[in-house]
Amino acid sequence: MQLSRPSVRPSRIALHAIMILLVVWSVTPFVWTAQTSIKFTRDVASKTPVLWGYETTANAYRNFWLDSDDLNMWGVLAFILVVAAAATALGLIGRRARHGWPWFLGATAVICVALWRFPRIWEANDEYDFLVNSVVVTILTMVISLSIGLLAGYGLARYTGISGAVILIVALGFRALPRTAFVLPYFFGAKEIDDWLTSTGVGSWNFPLIDFPGVDTLQILDTRLAIVLALVAVNQPFTIWMLRSFFIEVPKEMEEAAMMDGATRLQAFRKVIIPIMWPAIIATGLFTMLLAYNEYLFVRVLAPTEWTLPVAIVSLTGGESSRTITEAAAASVSITLPIVIVIILFQKHLVRGLGAGAVKG
Amino acid sequence: MNRRTFWWFTIPSVIVMLALMVFPLITTVWLGFQKLLLRDLNNPEWVGWDNYRDVLSDPEFWAAVQFTLVFVVVTVPASMVFGLAVALLLDRIGRGRAIYMAALLLPFIVTPVVGTLIYEDLFERGGLVSWLWEVFTDDAFAVSASNVKVLIVVQYIWYVMPFAMITFFAGLQTLPEERVEAAALDGAGFWRNLWHVTLPHLRLLVVFVGLISVMDAYRVYDSVFVWTGNRFTEAHTLAVYNVRIATAFDIGRLGKGNAIAVITVIGIFVVLIPFLWRSYRDQIAERT
Repeated sequence: MQLSRPSVRPSRIALHAIMILLVVWSVTPFVWTAQTSIKFTRDVASKTPVLWGYETTANAYRNFWLDSDDLNMWGVLAFILVVAAAATALGLIGRRARHGWPWFLGATAVICVALWRFPRIWEANDEYDFLVNSVVVTILTMVISLSIGLLAGYGLARYTGISGAVILIVALGFRALPRTAFVLPYFFGAKEIDDWLTSTGVGSWNFPLIDFPGVDTLQILDTRLAIVLALVAVNQPFTIWMLRSFFIEVPKEMEEAAMMDGATRLQAFRKVIIPIMWPAIIATGLFTMLLAYNEYLFVRVLAPTEWTLPVAIVSLTGGESSRTITEAAAASVSITLPIVIVIILFQKHLVRGLGAGAVKG
Repeated sequence: MNRRTFWWFTIPSVIVMLALMVFPLITTVWLGFQKLLLRDLNNPEWVGWDNYRDVLSDPEFWAAVQFTLVFVVVTVPASMVFGLAVALLLDRIGRGRAIYMAALLLPFIVTPVVGTLIYEDLFERGGLVSWLWEVFTDDAFAVSASNVKVLIVVQYIWYVMPFAMITFFAGLQTLPEERVEAAALDGAGFWRNLWHVTLPHLRLLVVFVGLISVMDAYRVYDSVFVWTGNRFTEAHTLAVYNVRIATAFDIGRLGKGNAIAVITVIGIFVVLIPFLWRSYRDQIAERT
């Protein structure tokens, strides 16, 4: 109980009143945009805002995502809800299960199959490709970042030599650098590699087995690969620091016991350490996911046409575009909803992750 | 763990950082000495310090430096004090804390460019704030060169406050109850308690949050870009100015852009090096 806490103790009602005010300050823009996204344009354009009692519509969502003018959106909504429910259920089971990864893999598979089927059931717009790009970039960044980050984080937590300290400090320095110091050389380097590929003829080779749809030349610039590489790199310092802080809490005796029994260091790491590291992996994975999903500058510079959602939304709905306010709102709501679901499901891990980075940082 | 095993574990990450962070940084420095246009990337020409002279005599650069400094000096303390206050309130809440926390976290977790877009919508024609403004002042509200800086700062505090809030909240959870009770027995009021018990306990966290906040505010790009675009170039921060110079359609000056990037990096390292040095000493001390 907190009753013994001294200080000006505002009455419970006052406390909740202040909290509600803070919540209003926090979420008003979201509520406003969500409202706008389901209004008719005439209500949005009226001089005094129509705050309630307006007729609702899913037109904005249909216009932004789909290539058809008359379509019952209830079917689409049902499809999304079923997929979201299935993925969420799998994720929840995985969070409680001793070995989480098959369940998370299952949730990912459900989402991938849904993404693949969706444009075959309904006619999707170009914007749909940006959604797919977002998902691909996010998942790849998360997987690569975590794989190499886990190894390095573990090594750095257990090694006591000077080189470990140097790597950590250099990484900390990189964490502070602005994106602009990286994005320009990335752009220049990718351009140089592409020129080289073209000049040697390698760029026009055909690889029948890895034939990506829509790609007929081998290149770096303007591909998802460029975005993923850039994101993995700038995310490494954060990943290794965070994972290291979690690994340090695992007593050395855990893997030493396994190694006594004849396991190699790598086996001990895989069989003993990783299974108890799931909360840490989820926390770090969440932040990596948000970083990749939210990235704007890298995508804009490195991928002039292979946009992800943030760039698509800013480019298509901001400024002088022909999109209506309601479509902009619908796009914003669409990109935000997955994040809201993540907060609700993984709030504890997010809070823990922010705390962990901090307390030991 | 012996050295060999350590390197086997760490080498993938080190390679990534060498190839995609160290090497690009060297490229940045090299490009800063080249005359290089975006539309003609194949003919870099060594021009020595010309780009730096060009940058340092550009009034837009100094305007960007000035606004960036103001931005850091205003948003960092404001978001930290605000975040600490909300953390103290959250600490007192029993029931419903998770819901409040989720709602308060939302601005920080949402895609920054989208968060800015929807915040901006409140101030555009037909938006909630612009309508309220009109009701109370009979004037139409418009985002303009004269108020956009204030809006940028307010929106950034809205965006970043949850970071300080959550971190301080995590710190408050480790505050030993006995110390608070002891202070209460001594008759300490709220402010004395805050000053003598809570803040000393959070000391390291304050430094940590302050440092991260300075780093992030100093390099802010997303939200400022969405607010200003090409409309209000006078409210550009260093990062936005940098990208504008380097990638402006058709006249992008990549050489000059890289020179600005180098200056930006030097700027943050002036603040950072003492801290990095201290962390290095701590790391070494921990090991022996």
